[in-house]
Amino acid sequence: MTFAERMLRIDRRIIFLLIGLCTLLPLLYPVGLAIKVSPEVRSVYDKIESLPAGSVFLLSMDFDPASKPELYPQAIALLHHAFRKNLRVIAMTLWLPGTGMAAEVISQVADGMGKVSGRDYVFLGWSPGGSSVVINMGQDLYKAFPSEYFRHEPTKDLAVLKGVRNLRDVSYVVSLAAGTTGIETWYVFGKDKYKFELGGGCTGVIAPGLYPLLRSGQINGLIGGLRGAAEYEVLTGLKGQALAGMDAQSATHFAIIVLVILCNTFFLFIQRSRKQADQR
Amino acid sequence: MSGRKFVDWLGLILVVSAVWCPPAYADELSAPREVRVFDTPSDAGGGLSVVWAPAGYDGPTVEYQVLLREKSDPSSAMKVMGAFPSDTHYVRNSRLPWWTRPAPQTFHLYEVKSSKEVEVKNGVMYEVAVAARRTGEHVESGAVEAVPAPNWVNWNQMNNLVLVMLFGSLVFASIRTAKRREIFLRRIPGLDAVDEAIGRATELGKPILYLTGAGDMSEPSTIAAAVILGRVAKRVAAYETDLLVPHRDPIVMAVCQEITKQSYLEAGKPDVFKEDSNFFITTDQFSYTAAVDGIMLRRKPAANFFMGSYFAESLLLTETGASTGAIQIAGTDSDHQLPFFVTTCDYTLIGEELYAASAYLSREPIQVGTLRGQDLGKAFILGVLALGTVLATIGVLFSTDMPAIVLDLFRDLK
Amino acid sequence: MNFLRRQLPLLITFAMGVVFACQYYVPHPVSELLLTTVTKWLQIIGGFALVLGITSLFHLHAGKIRRKEPGWGYSGVLYASMVGTILVGLGYSFSFQQWILGKETIDGVRTMFGWIYTFMMVPLQGTMFAILAFFIASAAYRSFRARSREAAVLLVAAVIVMLGRVPLGEYLVPISGDATQWIMNVLNASVRRAILIGISLGAIALSIKIIFGIERAYLGGGRE
Repeated sequence: MTFAERMLRIDRRIIFLLIGLCTLLPLLYPVGLAIKVSPEVRSVYDKIESLPAGSVFLLSMDFDPASKPELYPQAIALLHHAFRKNLRVIAMTLWLPGTGMAAEVISQVADGMGKVSGRDYVFLGWSPGGSSVVINMGQDLYKAFPSEYFRHEPTKDLAVLKGVRNLRDVSYVVSLAAGTTGIETWYVFGKDKYKFELGGGCTGVIAPGLYPLLRSGQINGLIGGLRGAAEYEVLTGLKGQALAGMDAQSATHFAIIVLVILCNTFFLFIQRSRKQADQR
Repeated sequence: MSGRKFVDWLGLILVVSAVWCPPAYADELSAPREVRVFDTPSDAGGGLSVVWAPAGYDGPTVEYQVLLREKSDPSSAMKVMGAFPSDTHYVRNSRLPWWTRPAPQTFHLYEVKSSKEVEVKNGVMYEVAVAARRTGEHVESGAVEAVPAPNWVNWNQMNNLVLVMLFGSLVFASIRTAKRREIFLRRIPGLDAVDEAIGRATELGKPILYLTGAGDMSEPSTIAAAVILGRVAKRVAAYETDLLVPHRDPIVMAVCQEITKQSYLEAGKPDVFKEDSNFFITTDQFSYTAAVDGIMLRRKPAANFFMGSYFAESLLLTETGASTGAIQIAGTDSDHQLPFFVTTCDYTLIGEELYAASAYLSREPIQVGTLRGQDLGKAFILGVLALGTVLATIGVLFSTDMPAIVLDLFRDLK
Repeated sequence: MNFLRRQLPLLITFAMGVVFACQYYVPHPVSELLLTTVTKWLQIIGGFALVLGITSLFHLHAGKIRRKEPGWGYSGVLYASMVGTILVGLGYSFSFQQWILGKETIDGVRTMFGWIYTFMMVPLQGTMFAILAFFIASAAYRSFRARSREAAVLLVAAVIVMLGRVPLGEYLVPISGDATQWIMNVLNASVRRAILIGISLGAIALSIKIIFGIERAYLGGGRE
């Protein structure tokens, strides 16, 4: 077996180690390179920025703990922005395993900014049904969620929901999704029927699949993965987890590029030596 | 005078007169004309549509107000339901298709809906008026009566219905054709490899792992995966190879159990069928992935089938499968996961190939005919895309609305 | 028996399929009410289906433990975790003097169930997702080769996107950011749209076949 062949068959644990180091070292020794904001992230920011104080902003955190590293910073940045703009925030989740995490993020950000549950924001929690929940909310928000999550107070009595009867009364909805049920559900069963503006945030791995929705105007903006979260943090001036993680992401991307170049070099080398052997 | 010079002079005269002469209508603020109010068609109720003719004074300095009150309460003041510059809210801005437009494109259109202050109720008679306002001036049209009501048909979406019916007829016609004569099916290497994979598993005495994806029974990809499972199970039964089908959805599990049982019956091997070959793991994405990865590492299946819809778990599954040396065949309509499947699997059925798989495996005229119908549908869409591009370009180049007559037929309307 | 196993399900499928295809074109509140009611039925059926799934899970692992199959210890761990979490999540807490009923916190204090969620489920799920990065690297090294001209094009596009999605890439190759935007918004979106058109037509055709009872394999068994 030639050197190139041996290199192409190296133990994958060596690659794992390399990726591990590329993630760990930049987190320990950050560089802090500048981040350029993409138009799709700016669209979400601009939309929230354009809303007058008191408008209703709905954030659906449709992800589970597995996607926390990417979507939690997005949720923090969006909530931070919405509270700073004094919007009335409705938070919820369509993913049962994400309920605790969603509750944690909203109460954490709200407490930090002096916002009060029931007056400035409400966390509705989770309700079974996925797309059915969106349809029910479009019909009657109070029937879909009769009580809020923290103190089980009837949603009908909450000051934050005054004048809000269903999804038609919501100015802007953002779904942070790790798959289905998520952005597409909110579009098909929500925006399509009840005519509100919809934005999205998602994990990096499903972001390319959502670009057609963006181009066709089905969603007005898209925050993709950790990079998207970092861009949003840049826009809001928040120094959060996403910005801290960008150096690690830079390093791992470069490691993968180097690995791909190496593998192709070895591959070409093997091809050439095979050709030469055939000619002989 | 040459034609060119004449045009130049004419242009100059028009420009000078436009600049020099103040518009004759500038000070004449008259009441909006031809005001019509009616129940908003194709809606769920609670809406009234108001149309009125454009006026000479339409411009950013003049504002229109749409006013409303209940007819039963004539003493109350009319409430402002909407106020906007008079050069906005035209029928042409409404995105309504030509077959439901209530007035010429140049007319104004405003939809009165419930606001935070006023609720527009179905079955209640309202009086609606349109006012034109400029600093210090206010003129109002006469009040027009209308009753909002919910509608039974959304006429805007009729193009969608016609297209679906057209496509449905195409599918049925193709099925009839396929019953009369044989239709050519191109090779799908991934499906040719199914037999090879089962044969290999039999030779090695190892099981076959079949996943139906993350979707529930309402997703076409899951249904397709279940249908293909039936064909695979039939061959697996014939070879008496072990079949493992871990599930993420209990209903899918129940359906697949029935399908597998029937396949073993049809293969004449009901005694080989194991009730627990289909089993439920969990609905949770990564717990399921961990469990399936564990099965792959412990049982080392010789062939892995990944059919249906997948998310971030796809690479975790297929990379683990590849590390065990199994032959891997994927079929998914989750386009965002295709790069991972293509990289790590031996064969990948892309998008609709997954739906075509049952036709390919069974060669039944109904299935093959459906495929032909899909192809014809695609050819039709390609034709429409080309025609639409040409017509839209013509519309822009010549500033004409004529192409909209065709383009509206293919628009996504609500 | 055949009526219950075949004709009745096909009849229900046809009726519901036609009704809900029409429902899309009916804006009347009655149509919306119908949809809402049926989605509630789906939620209820989904709840019962979970019982079916859990029964299957218990049955399978009980068999493994009984037969002492290789790896039966894992089945024991599964039983212990599942029963333990159910008890902790739904049971009575003496320290809080009340039933927990799935609450992660009570008056801001974390319950045992909340502890399991925060310190077991969150890191375990995070770990599983994080493995993806390692697997992507290993899969890229093993399989991402310029075997053909098309594969080479894919390779170049992938490298540009990887560069353009991180600050270091944009710093070293400033054009990579814009090039990535173009690739994602133009090439990626248009290709995906083409795939989506094919998928949608396939889905419509399959739906038509199911509604009209042409495709019956999902009921179990072949055609009659």
